[in-house]
Amino acid sequence: MTEQSQSRGAMSVPAPAIGMEPAETKEERYRWLKSRPRSLTLSEGNLFLILAVIIGLFSGMAVVCFRISIEWIRLALFGSALAPSAVRVLLVPAGVGLLVAFLIQRFFRGARGSGVNQTKAAVYVFDGYVPFRTVIGKFVTCALAIGSGQSLGPEDPSLQIGAGIASVLGRRLKLSRDKLRLLAPVGAAAGLAAAFNAPVSAVLFVIEEVIGTWSAGALGAIVLAAVSSVVAMRWFLGSEPLFRVPAYNLAHPAELFAYALLGVVGGVVSLAFLKIIAYFRPRLRDLPEWTRYLQPAIAGLAIGLIGLRLPQTMGAGYLYVDQALHNQYAWQMLAILGFAKILTTSLSFVSGTPGGMFAPTLFIGAMIGGAVGGLEHHFFPQLAASLGPFELVGIGTFFAGFLRVPITSVFMVVETTGSYSIALPLMISNTIAYLISRRYQDVALFDLLARQDGLELPSMEEQREQVVLRVEDAMRKMESPPLQAGDTLARSLEIAGSSPEQFMLVRFPTGRWAGVAKTDLLKMAESYPTDALLRELLPTTRLPVLHPDQRLDDVLRLIQGHPLLPVVSRAGARMVQGVVSLPDILNAYQKAT
Amino acid sequence: MSDEPSNIALRYIQRRVLLLSLFPLGLLFAITATLARTYHAREAGLAREWFQRGNNDFSAGNAAAAVDDFRNALSYDPENNQIQLRLAEALLNSGRFTEANAYFQSLWDQNPGSGEVNLNLARISAQMGDVNRTVRHYREAINGSWESEPVRQRTSARLELCGFLLQNGRLNEARKELAVAAADAPQGEAILHEQIGRLFLKAGDPAKAVREFEAALQTNPRQSQWLEDAGKAAYEGGDYQKAEPYLSKANRENPSNDVGELLSTVRAVLRGDPYLSGLSDEEQAHRSWRGFEQGLERLRSCVAIRRARSSSDSSGEFENLTKSAKGLKDRVNLRALSSQPELRTETMSFVFRIEKVTSQSCRTPPGFDQALLLIGKKYEGGDQ
Repeated sequence: MTEQSQSRGAMSVPAPAIGMEPAETKEERYRWLKSRPRSLTLSEGNLFLILAVIIGLFSGMAVVCFRISIEWIRLALFGSALAPSAVRVLLVPAGVGLLVAFLIQRFFRGARGSGVNQTKAAVYVFDGYVPFRTVIGKFVTCALAIGSGQSLGPEDPSLQIGAGIASVLGRRLKLSRDKLRLLAPVGAAAGLAAAFNAPVSAVLFVIEEVIGTWSAGALGAIVLAAVSSVVAMRWFLGSEPLFRVPAYNLAHPAELFAYALLGVVGGVVSLAFLKIIAYFRPRLRDLPEWTRYLQPAIAGLAIGLIGLRLPQTMGAGYLYVDQALHNQYAWQMLAILGFAKILTTSLSFVSGTPGGMFAPTLFIGAMIGGAVGGLEHHFFPQLAASLGPFELVGIGTFFAGFLRVPITSVFMVVETTGSYSIALPLMISNTIAYLISRRYQDVALFDLLARQDGLELPSMEEQREQVVLRVEDAMRKMESPPLQAGDTLARSLEIAGSSPEQFMLVRFPTGRWAGVAKTDLLKMAESYPTDALLRELLPTTRLPVLHPDQRLDDVLRLIQGHPLLPVVSRAGARMVQGVVSLPDILNAYQKAT
Repeated sequence: MSDEPSNIALRYIQRRVLLLSLFPLGLLFAITATLARTYHAREAGLAREWFQRGNNDFSAGNAAAAVDDFRNALSYDPENNQIQLRLAEALLNSGRFTEANAYFQSLWDQNPGSGEVNLNLARISAQMGDVNRTVRHYREAINGSWESEPVRQRTSARLELCGFLLQNGRLNEARKELAVAAADAPQGEAILHEQIGRLFLKAGDPAKAVREFEAALQTNPRQSQWLEDAGKAAYEGGDYQKAEPYLSKANRENPSNDVGELLSTVRAVLRGDPYLSGLSDEEQAHRSWRGFEQGLERLRSCVAIRRARSSSDSSGEFENLTKSAKGLKDRVNLRALSSQPELRTETMSFVFRIEKVTSQSCRTPPGFDQALLLIGKKYEGGDQ
């Protein structure tokens, strides 16, 4: 926290320090700065975009190093064979689990937990601050854990590594607080894009899960960072997608029913997985502090025991997803692998071993998808024989049901497969799984983890599902017709006299609206002849007009200083549909809560 | 942003920091490049190493170990078609058809025109009993691309297809394919001609089989096996005049082979056949007379055997034959046979009937009876 407060303090002291000529007085310093070439000066907006590219490049390369480190560690610990010796399978995850626990407890406490939530915490709690030590800790401990066979993935740590790099750069650049807050998601998108080799999905995920809004300011930087990080990653690791995806064509519309069933199964299984994590994680966290040195090792031992029979369930498991996509396993085996992976991943995750849930989610989704597809094919042989499409849809389904990111789940599969024809079954299945998971588990995974960690981070899912109040929810009918700009003062007084409103709206033939208080009309009558036209007496200020579909949040800004505003149709400003006042709006908010 | 001194200073710092960040960026680039290059080299090395191990295991007949080796190799070089192909072959050899099928199918998706992949898919489909898919893949293999020796590979695939068609009783298709294979087979390819000849025999076309064995013999006229094959094929086709020299040569070249009995039968046929071209009326009459006597003897002995067995099967047929024999006996003699060609025909038809009927009830002894039976079969349909 010391580094954090230092950083925040530094932001408010933008004194020139690096590489500057000595200047005696403030005046001289100002002149010297003004004399620097203007062309090299960047506005903060442009600087932010350039910075996004640099963050992308840093993150992309960091993720490449991270992924290679995992592979090197795997090779060093298990050897080059896919089926290592039983002794290694049993001892390595447990032994390395001890080391990882020691590193986390002694040096990198921030590396424990979900990278997504830590990035969200940086945005909403720590003004964009992610300690560099956490980046290093995440890199080292996750590489060790995943390389040693713990059933976790590299995406979540990559996301946090990206966010951390972005935060460090932002602090060095002494960016304003709001820009610094935005940088963490920019880096997160870069890290995730490089890890997934899927920039669109990464951008969507960060928007869907981290920042929650389509802010134009953030979107440009996030996209630039994601793209540049993927470019950097592909430069070193090639452009091959995560999986070699089989061709898919919907043979018959009836197949969609099969995918709907997959949605049901995926929803139920992802819900069960969520419940396991939700139940066991806090209980293991509540155990005495010293047990945290042992938990990853014990989980490693259990994973090793499972790995003796099912080595596929160890590590991130991308290779086996690829094999499954190419029909290397019978559906019974796919089912076994799917459920075994739920077990190993739960063990790794609840024990506090650092690592991500994305890769295991893909693995489990693919296996469960394939198993359901195989089972359906067993009973309905007319369905497509290849399990590949079911596995792909299973990946998206589990993503939607477990991580609760329905939009990202669709785009991720489409982007990694390059197949648009998969989108239709995918959307059906994902929606069903999402709805099941949403129905029986109120809190989404990341929100749940945050609450277990004692953080009250904004829930993007809740935000998405919040009822948006609009003008039509607050507006009421006009009690009396509006005054016309061409009316005489006498006529206006007559109409106002019969109206219960204290503030009268005035309509101009051009569609412009103005307003006048009853008391002001009476004052005018004392100063001007009664046959004077109202338009000649009114000030030239224009009254803002509202439309029924406008958000009340936005209207609150417009209504300042106006007792009443007209609500007009979008088809024409002269067609008045009602009026809205500040009490009406507050009333609407009160009703909604 | 205004032109406040603090803001100008901030922008200046930011610009400088941004420029300075290029140094760590360059450093990270260098580190990543080194790491990536080393890792890729290691991956390539491991892929080669496991591939080599797999090939060694495969050559040594240990397909199961080869499968593991190739899988390991593939994990380091997943796009390598050669490894995929070898893995699929190893899976096929170790009887894991479903997995092999998946690999070959994946390879086929990438290269549907590959002769090798189609051939393997055809073999897997055959194992799985999918006849139509098997035939389709064989045909795609025949028309597909081959990296080496395309003509030989295509012919070999065609012959495999013929074997499969024969196994499944699709004789006409097999004959058509064999005809194409025979037409395409190069002149000096003796083994290939031998293979085609054997398949023609299985397809029930011994005449064409003889031609293929003869083509093989052109490269080595003293090859005893081909001589034997040609002789047997000619024998199968009823061309005993052609069979005799091949069989006798085969016997000469390799006296230990088992053509002796066959050769005796052929010679007996040639000695007993009254319809051979170039025979005088007397010789024809003489052969017909000998056949008649042999036929009567055969009828008598078979009736005696049947009586001993108390068998009543086709007893009506035997009674008819016995009656006809009595009738013919009065008319048939050497002189009559010499002067009446119709009587020769009638007599021989009667003899053939005896041999045929008795062969169904009593075992046909080797020698003249068998020769008469074969002669009868040859001229069945009345083309004498």
